[in-house]
Amino acid sequence: MADDTELTATLPAWRSTSSITLPVLAAIGITLLLTLGVLWLIPAWTASPLLGHVLRWLPALLWGMLANIQISVLAIALGTAAGLVIGALQLSPVVPAATVARWYVQIFRNAPMLILIYFSTYVFPFEIRLGNTYLAFPDWIKVTLGLALPASANVAEIFRGAIGGIPSAQWEAAAQLGLRRSQAYRWVILPQCLRRMLPPWMNLYATITMGTALASLVGVKDLLDTAQIASSTVNRVDFTVTVYFLTLLLFFLYCYPISRLTQYLEKKHAFH
Amino acid sequence: MRPADWLQATVASLKAAGLNYEFLLAASERASFLHGLVVTLELALAAIVCSLVAGLLLAAMLVSRHRWLALPARGFVEVTRNTPTLVQLYCAFLVLNMLITEALKLSGGNPLTPFLWVVVVISLHKAAFHAEALRAGLQAVPPVMLEAAASLGFTSTRRLWLVQFPLALRFALPSLVNNLVDLVKMTTVASAIAVGDVTYQAIMIWSQRDNVLELMLLLLLFFSLLTWLVNQGGRALEHYWRIPGYGR
Repeated sequence: MADDTELTATLPAWRSTSSITLPVLAAIGITLLLTLGVLWLIPAWTASPLLGHVLRWLPALLWGMLANIQISVLAIALGTAAGLVIGALQLSPVVPAATVARWYVQIFRNAPMLILIYFSTYVFPFEIRLGNTYLAFPDWIKVTLGLALPASANVAEIFRGAIGGIPSAQWEAAAQLGLRRSQAYRWVILPQCLRRMLPPWMNLYATITMGTALASLVGVKDLLDTAQIASSTVNRVDFTVTVYFLTLLLFFLYCYPISRLTQYLEKKHAFH
Repeated sequence: MRPADWLQATVASLKAAGLNYEFLLAASERASFLHGLVVTLELALAAIVCSLVAGLLLAAMLVSRHRWLALPARGFVEVTRNTPTLVQLYCAFLVLNMLITEALKLSGGNPLTPFLWVVVVISLHKAAFHAEALRAGLQAVPPVMLEAAASLGFTSTRRLWLVQFPLALRFALPSLVNNLVDLVKMTTVASAIAVGDVTYQAIMIWSQRDNVLELMLLLLLFFSLLTWLVNQGGRALEHYWRIPGYGR
């Protein structure tokens, strides 16, 4: 028995006691360390006008972050709507439709996000003609579409995976109860899929959110772009250090809770 | 037919189809595009090797019984996984690199190149993902295996290296390959700091010739090829390392 306990304890005991709180503490610790490191780089920061610069630029930075959030939310919404259709097409008994859907998923899952963003920015027109009126097609919407492409391909794949993970006995049981295929789909399979799809879908959302930082490369006024403008406007070493690490911190504060929630849901789901 | 004629004929027939690949006929542009392909390949290869080494070290730290090793590793993994690579690249290249340049101004300048920074940032970013995959693999090794190894008289170090780690590597392999596919795609961010990879060269060409779509197709083809190669390599390794009695 003594040997037994020794073996099961190959992973350190402190991990099992509070496996959720410690990583959180560690993450907070590292962000604090980063911040402290930044402060350490600036010896007389209270006396310097650094804090004033930071406070002056903070609203602009947060406003830029709002653009990131806006793009990510819109991209995941479009991507989810399109991805569910494509995912269903992938499983369709109509062979050409399934083949096209599978190619779509392959291409847009394997394409680098940055290239898709360049693609949508430079290939789409900058305005759309509707009769006699010209509708502006701003860059941030193009970036949203560019991110919605990989999002839709990934949602399609998540959907296919979730359907594939439902035991076929479920279909058979539904058929035994006299449900038509469409009814079984709607009332038996889909509700189970949604629960399975939630964690990977949230992971995808976090990925897309981090992808929105690439929007700054095509000139969208997002958080990173604002940080660059701030850094070159103020033109101080200590401010540059602070503003980039602040950008990192803001993204972290937005994405980390999503990632924690995903892990929690995955763990909860694992017992069902 | 000479290769040059063949190229000319191909470009002409593509032109007839509405695709402008004339930059391939201009020697300097063709050379810079081909150089870009090589730089991307170098970036990907260097980052794949470095990320695997760093991932292994991080995984070892994550499962260490010493908190002072495990907690910083956990914090690093969480910060890295939850922030955009581009922001990390800027923090490294625009901030750390700048500070290093300032510090070394008197002693002969900064030896670190943008290429090196991209390799470091991408490697560390993917190392965090590798480490998570390896950690999950280590935990997936059935305790019975370890008990069996212990009863055969293995010391805990030998048990780790000869039993637990080889199995964990096999369990983690699919995730590791996935991470490497992501890594290859991620090399495109190098263009943000003008490393001269294929994406950067493509931008240079299309801003002169206005043939975005044509270059996009080439880039997509190139990256599809690279990710396919990584996937094939992964599959071959999976086959080579397959455990009798596990999987199909």
